Amino acid sequence: MTTAIDPVIVAKDIRKKYEDNVAVDGISFEVRRGEIFGMLGPNGAGKTTTVEILEGMRDADSGEAIINGLNVKQDPIGVKAIIGVQLQQNAFFDNLKLSEIVDLYAKLYLAKVDPIEVLERVGLANRKNSKYAELSGGQKQRLSIAVALVNEPVVLFLDEPTTGLDPQARRQLWGLVRKIQTEGSTIVLTTHYMEEAEELCDRIAVVENGKIIALDTPDALIDQLLETGFKPEKRVREATLDDVFLHLTGRDLRD
Amino acid sequence: MRIYLALTVASLKMYFRNKQALFWALFFPLLIMTIFGMMNFDGYNSPNVGIYDAADNKASHAFISALRGPDDERLLSVTVDTLENIHHELEFGSNRAVIEIPSNYGIPGEYAEIKVTYDERFQQERAVVATILRRVTDAVFKEVAQVPNEYRVENAIGVSESLITGQGQGYKAWLIPGITGMAIMQTGLFMVVFTLVRFRSQGVLRRLKATPIGATHFLAGQLTTKALVVVIQTYVLVIIGSIILGVAVGADLIAAWFDLTVLALLGGALFITIGLAVSGWAKNEETAAPIANVISLPMMFLTGVFFPLSIMPDWLTQWSQYLPLTFLVDGMRAITVEGARITTLGSELIGLGVWIAISFAVATKMFRWE
Repeated sequence: MTTAIDPVIVAKDIRKKYEDNVAVDGISFEVRRGEIFGMLGPNGAGKTTTVEILEGMRDADSGEAIINGLNVKQDPIGVKAIIGVQLQQNAFFDNLKLSEIVDLYAKLYLAKVDPIEVLERVGLANRKNSKYAELSGGQKQRLSIAVALVNEPVVLFLDEPTTGLDPQARRQLWGLVRKIQTEGSTIVLTTHYMEEAEELCDRIAVVENGKIIALDTPDALIDQLLETGFKPEKRVREATLDDVFLHLTGRDLRD
Repeated sequence: MRIYLALTVASLKMYFRNKQALFWALFFPLLIMTIFGMMNFDGYNSPNVGIYDAADNKASHAFISALRGPDDERLLSVTVDTLENIHHELEFGSNRAVIEIPSNYGIPGEYAEIKVTYDERFQQERAVVATILRRVTDAVFKEVAQVPNEYRVENAIGVSESLITGQGQGYKAWLIPGITGMAIMQTGLFMVVFTLVRFRSQGVLRRLKATPIGATHFLAGQLTTKALVVVIQTYVLVIIGSIILGVAVGADLIAAWFDLTVLALLGGALFITIGLAVSGWAKNEETAAPIANVISLPMMFLTGVFFPLSIMPDWLTQWSQYLPLTFLVDGMRAITVEGARITTLGSELIGLGVWIAISFAVATKMFRWE
């Protein structure tokens, strides 16, 4: 395991422009070791670009990104070796079994892991002989998390991991993310589902137009809003429609 | 090294599990070979005759053009070349007879003896060539019959005949290396273009970019796989092709198989790098297909895969002889049916090398991950 450096992620005034469109406009934050850090924001707010700059997938125009003491721009390969990445759009080789995919990626990191064990961690051991194309949406996301775990990453980046999943699969993935956290990883997660952020994240950065407009724990953010005298439009109920749906259809996974 | 091996093994598994790819790489070329082989185009052309013109004067040019016949009705398919080349073509290639015009032909008062050598296996062609030769020499005789005795043609021209047993095996054996070369082109070009473009549009390549490996490892793995496929393909097509068409392809020596392997790898490398360049250029699978076709289709028909270049007009062969596939097909043909060794191939190797260098430069500029 790599030596522990806290904060594990330091982002300083990161900026990125695409032609005339400013995607990231001076974002700074720190992520502490062992926390689940959420980045929230509408589509196009700059979450994915920020995360991809941290992952070494894109170069920032200016600013600094440091992961576990390594400067991403100066040592992208060193950084890539200690992080796990789930991209927003994931795809894996066809004509390979899941166990072969995990095994291949483990070898790319020169990691010695048992692919079946990794699949076991995400609950896919029983599908080890299936092909990627045969998986359901939730299973695909879990496979991409399994692949991101092959190198025992210091930081795991999950970019909108539950987008497009049904409530059952979403809840199962939440359980998986929490489990990975307790196993010692730091997790950076982007989402535009508020209940997901509230459920999972220790701290949240709200991103809008390429800037962080709020950063705190979910509870503190809600308290700050209430202090301004805010009242929800609807009467707060004890249950949500999500609960109704899960009550009617059960919590069991459908895949 | 371990990473490279892992990527190679994985991409080999992917390839051999893809039944469609195997069909196009192996079964389809064999099918084409069988169909064209059965049509047997040997008898349709006027016999190929190689001429060595040592005289190279007005009289010898008139003689050659008389043998050739009028443009719209060729008597003989004549190629004028060096003594060595025409005899090589007679022994291993498509020449059915060679005619040597001596240096004193057409010089008044001199006796010129024209030497003709036939391949004894082709009696019909031999008769055709002998008849035409007699007719042409007779015509020359009549034309000058009125001149004084010392200039009479029987004093001027004689014909001596000799026979050899050639090893050329005609159209069927000629077809096998041609189709094999074409199949190598298709594998290199299309397999690379389609797998890479699909991997890119699906995001597989982006996902690889998020790992510590660079482009080189992934590309090296892809190239190794395709190179192996190309070699296997060459062996299968040459061996099974010659069994189906019932010809013995000259490659009965271990050395010839070694040469063939080297040549197949060179050809594979060439078309794979062209494929890489195209896959970098094409935005998606819809644009990749037409680009790959625009490159491969003209070559299929202009480089003598199915029919010899000698039946095509000069203005076309003038530039089609420099196409990448021409060098590959010529080289494969030289080794499989003409008894050449890789060390004796000159222009073919240079041509392949130059094209590899050009397409490599373009490919490194064009390749994209996303």
